[in-house]
Amino acid sequence: MSNAIRIALSQQVALKRQLATVANNLANMNTTGFKAENLVFEEHIMPGASMDNVNIGSTQISYVSDTMLMRDFSSGGLKTTDNPLDVAINGKGWFTVQTPLGDRYTRNGHFTLNSNGQLVTSSGHPVVVDGGPLSFSPEETDITIASDGTISTNQGVRGKLQIAIFEMESILKKEGANLFSSVDAARTPEFVSLAQGMVENSNVEPIEQMTKMIEIQRAYERTASMIEKLGQMKTNAIGKLAQVAA
Amino acid sequence: MKSLYTAATGMMAQQLNVEVISNNIANMRTTGYKRQRAEFQDLLYQNLRRQGSTTSADGSTVPSGIQVGAGVKTGATYRVMSQGSLAFTEKNLDLAIRGEGFFQIELSGGQTGYSRDGTFERDAEGNMVTLDGYKLIPNIVIPESSRDISIGKDGSVDVFLDDSTVATNVGQITLARFANKAGLEAIGDNILLETPSSGTANVAIAGSSGTGNILQNFVEQSNVNAVQEISELITAQRAYEMNSKVITVSDEMMSVTARLK
Repeated sequence: MSNAIRIALSQQVALKRQLATVANNLANMNTTGFKAENLVFEEHIMPGASMDNVNIGSTQISYVSDTMLMRDFSSGGLKTTDNPLDVAINGKGWFTVQTPLGDRYTRNGHFTLNSNGQLVTSSGHPVVVDGGPLSFSPEETDITIASDGTISTNQGVRGKLQIAIFEMESILKKEGANLFSSVDAARTPEFVSLAQGMVENSNVEPIEQMTKMIEIQRAYERTASMIEKLGQMKTNAIGKLAQVAA
Repeated sequence: MKSLYTAATGMMAQQLNVEVISNNIANMRTTGYKRQRAEFQDLLYQNLRRQGSTTSADGSTVPSGIQVGAGVKTGATYRVMSQGSLAFTEKNLDLAIRGEGFFQIELSGGQTGYSRDGTFERDAEGNMVTLDGYKLIPNIVIPESSRDISIGKDGSVDVFLDDSTVATNVGQITLARFANKAGLEAIGDNILLETPSSGTANVAIAGSSGTGNILQNFVEQSNVNAVQEISELITAQRAYEMNSKVITVSDEMMSVTARLK
């Protein structure tokens, strides 16, 4: 019977973590370039245990464990901002950003210029353009970014945004501040399609997340009521067994 | 319950979003106002199961681990410096900039402010001043005897004195440009200040070195788009509600646990 309570506990722990993931998705509903995530649960089989020994091969008990995080890499909707330095990627691809810890990748194409006229992200990290950061002089105007990433101003072509793609996007790891890191080397895509004056919204589907949240809550309540019933069973058992026949 | 705090960061972010949007809507008819946008970033992640960690002696690894995020933060509230539409006013000291650049205004204490608001007036001494009485840099004095003022695209100020049919030049308006105009600091009254992140001002005659042209008898309206702001307000409000729902659910789950016996 105590096994049952432990299984219930494993589910409740997993559900709390799933709620944390749902909460993070909803908190980032309006975060530019955010990718929704979902926990994947797996059966974790353990031999049944009694007070003094573990009977391997006798009964098998399935616990719940969260083994994986699936990230939804689909594109979020595009939002018009009219800012010439906002760029969104249509379809696959990542912007490359130079950070002190190495290259990082982002779908957040809200860029700005720093005091040196360098193209940077809102956290101040330089955006990689043809292998190096790009600076504009104060005299340059009319910055246009073509759909293939070519940046030009009134003084001609200035460079091309470096877009990265990955064989397996699931290998990407979130670093916070809309940045992702990768252990695999990035490839250059043959074709990219960028849109200037737009940013990519978060791809969180609020309805899906709300439904998931209701599911989590109900599952949690069910498990809790099961724990309660198990407790009552124990109380009943003790009460009944203790009755001495007259 | 991590989800409680995560949802709280979501609510705080959306609250700020609503504040930014309401300020935009409030300034819908403010001359030269540039709308702001709140930019959000996800917070740090906790690695519960690390990607790439070994799972067996054969060297198999975890393909995608478990990372639980801690919510959202505001990365920046930046100004969208796009051109506002120009409105015809028939007032000869109303100026609008079509293109890049800012008017330079001498604030009290000799500090230089920058503005896209070109509604100027004359003070008692004939100086060209803003509605708050701050002088334009370089200072332009319009003689009392002038009957008409003509300001060219390049910012040269010509006046016609008394009965004269020949224009007299009384000054030249210059415009300032910045490497990062989004980095300017707003201090209210349509005035922006230079900051380390904006870079230093590059002053030039209007129409040269990338600055825009000056148009007389026009003012630049705010670049706030009402439809866009309202739809953003709806999104922000719904996001706020959904985050508060997460708090309710987390609370109910905790109360279920607390009721166990």
